Parts: sequence; structure tokens; C-alpha cells
Amino acid sequence: MTDKNNKIPFNEDNYTHNINRNNERKLDRRGFMKTLVGAAGVFAVSSLPWGAVAAKELIGLGDKKYPKQKITDVTAIPVGDAVDFHFPGEHDSAILIRLSENKYVAYQNACTHLRCPVFWQKEEGDLLCPCHHGKFDVETGAPTAGPPRRPLPEIYVKVENGAVYAVGVKRYEA
Amino acid sequence: MKRSYLPVALLLAVLMLNIIVTQYMVHQYFYQNYVNTIVAGVMNVVLFPLAFIIYKKGVNVND
Ligand code: FES
Repeated sequence: MTDKNNKIPFNEDNYTHNINRNNERKLDRRGFMKTLVGAAGVFAVSSLPWGAVAAKELIGLGDKKYPKQKITDVTAIPVGDAVDFHFPGEHDSAILIRLSENKYVAYQNACTHLRCPVFWQKEEGDLLCPCHHGKFDVETGAPTAGPPRRPLPEIYVKVENGAVYAVGVKRYEA
Repeated sequence: MKRSYLPVALLLAVLMLNIIVTQYMVHQYFYQNYVNTIVAGVMNVVLFPLAFIIYKKGVNVND
């Protein structure tokens, strides 16, 4: 019994007799070309998603649609004044400024620095963030002073039957 | 017959084109030129069968 388990069946040198790995890693011309074709395949496959998203942008699926929303009546906002509202969601506070008889601009009024609310300074003609004194150009929403580096997101407005409506949010462009 | 390294050179050229086209594609996407993005993407896809053909032709030349 004891010697049955204690036997070495054959010479240990023979365990790997049928594994031949000579030249296994040698890269010949054929193998190299295969690698190159494979790389071309990887490039081809990896460009598919880019084509897909580009096509999506072209068809216009990238623009989100929000239902238009009444902000205020034209009579309720004198030239040079501003009103606060919420668009597109009820937690996205925004500000509408009447620049002239027919010119309205609206921005989401969370400062692009640390999201403090931005206020309209009628006398200076500036949008001012009181937290760190960031300023924005009222015509474009571009930052003009202080810490903010990105423009305020613009909201498209439309005047219809004596009322001002918010109709959409401008897409962010880096 | 002496083996030919021409297909290898061609495949390397294809790979170089792949790299160039891919970078062009990504940049055009971020520049919002979506038509150019798609053109570059199609180009990249077309380069793969081309590479395969080059391989098929080249591999039979005595290895
Ligand atoms: S939060 Fe507006 S400037 Fe810092």
C-alpha cells in the first residue's frame, strides 16, 4: 500500500515533453502584418461611436426641447429692469433683463464660479455676483471680472401677445 | 522567391493614415464640424478592408 503512492511514474524531465515553446514569441513578417491589420480593425471599430454621435448632432437630437414658459407681461417690466424666474426646471433660477423697448436677454443666474445668484446692477449695467464680485456682460453673459471663467447659460426668449416667454436654453459651448 | 516587404510598408502607411484620420476626426468633433467627423470616421472604417486586402495579397508571397 505505502509504495503505491510513493512512486514517481517516470523521469521528471519528461513532464513537459510535449510542450514546445521554441520561437513562440518570434514575430515574423506574417505575424507583424496580422498585428497591423488588427490595429486597423481597432481603429475602424473605435471610430464608429464618433460617427454615431456626430450623426446624432447633425439630426439635431442633441438639442433638448423644453415647453415654453411665460416669464412676465411686457407691461410689468419697465426698460432697464430685471425679473427673476425659473427655467427650465423649478430649481433652475434665472433672470430676465429688459435692455430696451424690444430687447430682452435672459440667463440662468447661478454664477459659473460657485453658483451664487447673480444680480442685475441697473446703474452699472452689469450682472454682479456678490459672493466674490464676479461680473458678467449683460449682452452676452460672458464673464468680465472676478473669478468666473465661463459664461452664464443663455435662455432664449420670445415676445408674444404682450408677454415674454422662455423657449429654450442655449447649448453650452466650450 | 525572395519575400517582399512592400506589403509591410503599405500596412505601416495605412496605420499612419489611421492615426492621422482618427485625430482629425476627434478634433473635428470638438470643433463641431460634424460632417467632417463622419467623413473621417468612414475613412477609418474603409481603411480596415484595405489593410486586410494588402495582407491577403502580401502573405502569399513566400514567407
Ligand atoms: S460665486 Fe460668483 S464670483 Fe464666486
